[in-house]
Amino acid sequence: MQVRAGLLSAATAAVLALAAAGCGGGDSDSNTTSAGGGAGQEGGTATVLMGTAPDYLDPQLGYTTQSAEPDWITYTGLLTYRHASGSAGGELIPGLATALPEISRDGLTYRLRLRSGLTFSDGRPVRASDFAYTIERAIRVNWGGKSFFTNYIDGASAYDSGRADSISGIQTDDATGDITIRLTEPYGAFPNVIAFPSAGLVPRGTAMRNLSNDPPPGVGPYMYTQASVNRGFTLERNPRFARFDIPDIPTGHLDTIRVTILSNTQSEAQRVLNNEADVFDAGDTLPPSLLPQIESQAGDRFSREPIPSTFYFFLNTTKPPFDNEQARQAVNMAIDRDAMVRLASGFLKPSCWFIPDGVAGHPGSDATCPYGDRPDLAGAKRLVQESGTAGTKITVWGQERSPRREYVDYYTDLLNKLGYDAQERIIADEVYFPTIGSGQTDPQTGFADWIQDFPNPSDFYLLMDGRSIQPTNNQNFSKVNDPFIQRQLNRLNPVPATELDSVADQWSELDQYTARRAYVVVYGEQTMPKFFSDKLDFDAALFHPTYLNDWTSLQLK
Amino acid sequence: MATVDSTVRAAAPAGRGVDVAAGIGPYRLGLRRLRRNKTALAFGALFLLIVVLCLCAPLYADHVAHTSPNANHVTDTVTVGGVRKDVVSPTGQPIGPTWQGRFLLGADQNGRDIAVRLLYGGRNSLEVGAVATLITMVLATLAGVVAGFFRGAVDGVIARFLDLIWAYPVVLLGIALGTSLALGGITIGPLEIQGNSLMVPAFIIGIVYIPYVAKPIRGQVLGLREQEFVDAARVGGAGPLRIMWSEILPNLSSTIVVFVPLMIANAILLEAALSYLGAGVQPPNPSWGTMISDGIRLIPSAMHLTFVPGVMLVLAVLGVNVFGDGVRDALDPRARVRIEDVQEQAEVQR
Amino acid sequence: MTRFVVRRLCSMALVLFAISVLTFLIFQAIPNGDPAQRMAGRLSSPETVAAIRRTWGFDDPLWQQYLTTMKKIFTGEVISYTQQVNVLDEIRKGLPATLSLAIGAGILWLVLGVLFGLLSAVRAGGLTDRGLTVLAMVGVSTPVFLLGAVALYFLAFKVQLFPNGGYVPLTQNPADWAYHMILPWLVLSVLYVGIYSRVLRSNMLDTMSDDFVRTARAKGISERRVLVRHVLRNSLIPIVSLWSLDFAAVIGGGAILTESVFNLQGVGQYAAESIQQLDVPPVMVIVMLGAFFVVVLSAVTDVLFALLDPRIRLT
Repeated sequence: MQVRAGLLSAATAAVLALAAAGCGGGDSDSNTTSAGGGAGQEGGTATVLMGTAPDYLDPQLGYTTQSAEPDWITYTGLLTYRHASGSAGGELIPGLATALPEISRDGLTYRLRLRSGLTFSDGRPVRASDFAYTIERAIRVNWGGKSFFTNYIDGASAYDSGRADSISGIQTDDATGDITIRLTEPYGAFPNVIAFPSAGLVPRGTAMRNLSNDPPPGVGPYMYTQASVNRGFTLERNPRFARFDIPDIPTGHLDTIRVTILSNTQSEAQRVLNNEADVFDAGDTLPPSLLPQIESQAGDRFSREPIPSTFYFFLNTTKPPFDNEQARQAVNMAIDRDAMVRLASGFLKPSCWFIPDGVAGHPGSDATCPYGDRPDLAGAKRLVQESGTAGTKITVWGQERSPRREYVDYYTDLLNKLGYDAQERIIADEVYFPTIGSGQTDPQTGFADWIQDFPNPSDFYLLMDGRSIQPTNNQNFSKVNDPFIQRQLNRLNPVPATELDSVADQWSELDQYTARRAYVVVYGEQTMPKFFSDKLDFDAALFHPTYLNDWTSLQLK
Repeated sequence: MATVDSTVRAAAPAGRGVDVAAGIGPYRLGLRRLRRNKTALAFGALFLLIVVLCLCAPLYADHVAHTSPNANHVTDTVTVGGVRKDVVSPTGQPIGPTWQGRFLLGADQNGRDIAVRLLYGGRNSLEVGAVATLITMVLATLAGVVAGFFRGAVDGVIARFLDLIWAYPVVLLGIALGTSLALGGITIGPLEIQGNSLMVPAFIIGIVYIPYVAKPIRGQVLGLREQEFVDAARVGGAGPLRIMWSEILPNLSSTIVVFVPLMIANAILLEAALSYLGAGVQPPNPSWGTMISDGIRLIPSAMHLTFVPGVMLVLAVLGVNVFGDGVRDALDPRARVRIEDVQEQAEVQR
Repeated sequence: MTRFVVRRLCSMALVLFAISVLTFLIFQAIPNGDPAQRMAGRLSSPETVAAIRRTWGFDDPLWQQYLTTMKKIFTGEVISYTQQVNVLDEIRKGLPATLSLAIGAGILWLVLGVLFGLLSAVRAGGLTDRGLTVLAMVGVSTPVFLLGAVALYFLAFKVQLFPNGGYVPLTQNPADWAYHMILPWLVLSVLYVGIYSRVLRSNMLDTMSDDFVRTARAKGISERRVLVRHVLRNSLIPIVSLWSLDFAAVIGGGAILTESVFNLQGVGQYAAESIQQLDVPPVMVIVMLGAFFVVVLSAVTDVLFALLDPRIRLT
């Protein structure tokens, strides 16, 4: 009796001790990041609902937030971003490379070395030449952003057009793991380019076609175990990844993440509200009709997180009325950003600067908006009269989906109030950007947005660069061609992304100049919903500025 | 298509000497019967009332609501019962009915007055319905008469064309055409119509319904041309055009009259369906269909956005439907309901 | 008989061909509708766009593009412009939902339509008749998506009696499947019940005053038998023909509005989304499938009637 009781209590104590160790915060390794940790559970499953299917799950093809969210934690590239919220998440860190690249003085040569001992999720060893193959694959399958590769990597354009069967500008040595990339011209944002999920390594020999329903193996904290791009997919923890001990890339808490595509945001929000599913995908719009309920019932698991983006109306500076600077100033004076926020159901952070918050170069709080924060309709009307452009016929272009259509409804009415004769043309989302970017349309004004490709001001200033104006698929809708801006861009664009902090002030001054010239009417940056069920630890979960919900930081309470 | 018409007697042309009562023409007889049908009259009056209300839209906008259909009031406030309220809340919730002059029936997401948009939208919906009906009736009668009269190759070509439109699922054809034409507009010879004109949905709806009316008319003409009075006219030296105009057409008149209210109802419903799917009336022009479609997003928190135009639309369509039924009963109370009548009505609403 | 079948087959082929050409041309008329630009993305260079055009054959003359698309459709290899998935696979995935909706609603509206029509005719002029007629008229005058949205609001949101749309496969959970389908069935049926009950009522009333019925009554046959044996049987014929055509149309992607409102992810909804995304291949396939169904079923109905009623000639 005595002995058994003793054994029993010893066993109980042992079990309790094990349990305590297991449930204690986080992993034993130090890979969990800053804001993570806490006393959450390890393991478990969470369901994510997506209202919009990812464009592709194939890493070399995906180009939307829905595809980036799973791909950046399943296909790590040579470089990646820090797993942190806010502007800290914009910092580049080494991924599969041992360190940040060594950049030559002329900015044309990048040297990196692959970590040793890495294997893909199926066990194949990772070799330096896999990087070259990955870039070739991205080009061959026609990734939407492949011009980032073909415009800058030496020999990539020749590979693209079929004149070469490999990229001469990428030299790799499988024995040492050395990778040397040669550029055709200095491009400061090139480190950001290597950090794209589409540069996430896949094994040499992976088929060069859309593999969204059967994704290839990769290196990352998670891996795909099931995929059907329009219905849903499943990620499970990649057991091999923890052994690599890559600093600053967390290994994740959940064992399984099940993603279902719903395409009915109403149901999506309802299910998360009722705790039947765990994550409302941040890339979706929360149905405004449910907002009152969500805010009152689930206020502790809902927040609006800004992402570096610029929402604006472009003003074509090459034709009336907006070739007239006073006319442009008047619109900037008259716009009511509070109204825009309401039209966005609160999902807009008002701003007057083209470089958004979270990106180096965003004018800080000590800079004042050149045309004021509050709308001045009377003053603007006077300015319009003075400018002599009153009465001009304007066609305002817009997209169909809400709230973009509502933005344009408001804007058109505003232009009419200012004394113009404005009419709107709302066209299908699918053809919107090709239409307004076409020289035949040459639109006067309309809706435009830019969501960062990467946290680098040069990404945004593409839209202000006179050199990027082209007759089809133009993105510089205001047709800005300002010598001062061009001079500044010539100096600032080549600065490597890893040294952005040193030139942030200069970008800020450039941005304030642009605002004064009123080339566009910026009204704000988009905020996205961070909305979970009560099963997940809301505060511990990171919201990354580029990749939204960082699924490696999700954990059950 | 189906030869089922042979099992169902087509609506006998009214006024072919059916009524023995001395000399009373078919229309006067029909009018008498209609007047006795109180229900039909009541609903007809309802429809008329709605039409008149909508035509008075500018009066209402200027004198009661003091705004226009596209004027935004996103950050404005309105005093209701002594309390200042936001027309649109900071999180985008529009105000409900205030039962006052301003925002009588509430506001929409852009702070626009719903009552004003309801009336202007009604004008647009009714205009689209009327023009579409006109297009359908004119072209269908033309096609039906020409096909039925000339038969042979002409009939073959026209019938195939009608079959083509008929076989294409109505709503799909409507959306496909609507999307394409909204983006590109229509250019017929010298006539150029902008993509966002009301004429585009009117044109599409008009075209889509042609087979619906043309087939029965063709069937009737096929029968009529065998009658003695046609032979008589031909013997008398009348050319085909003359015969079609003065002999055939008048005998089709009651069929045509019966179709008109039915077509108006279908046109209004199809416009609503197309607008719901984004291929109908283009923004910012209001129409009942676009208002319902916009409002559906916000149903849980702002029911009035959908409810108000919805009720108006149902009342209008109901009114014209019941009245149309009464007209058909009056002109030929013994007619069996024809298959095609009923079928196409179903098709558009799925 | 064989002549009839052959002629019908020919006309069907012609109609399908014409429909596919029409669809193809409608989308060609869209300005800036170049799918290559959309596929390439916003930051694409002209070379990327050109490359996509070459791969997909958008540079070929129109007739060649049409033939290539048709060939791909018949070999089952047709790929959509958005997301580049196989269209036929996507259609297959949506078919169960569309079939569930069509068959369930079809049975429901047939039964209820006949029932209400019968009641109305038997109690013609009375309160029941008036009441049912009013309901029928309202049903016919209400857009189905409005009815669906309102139903969802009251029955799925305010009171959680029904689920908020969505489709659960029959093989996964039959009870849940039915639970999700009840509202869509009811909403879709409302329209047809209204129409069918009025048709039946009207036909029955007319038949009831026909000669052969008077003869039957004179012979002393009970009212009930007269009703069922003679009147109903005759009046049902047009109903059956109507039903088969309506049913075919619903299967062929016609129930777009109902599928969209309830988010059933059926074939109709897929068609509507594809049109909105200016995605030509799925639209062509679905439209042709729908037309095929309608044509086939109408031919079958005609044959059935010819067999049932010797007075009908097959033209």
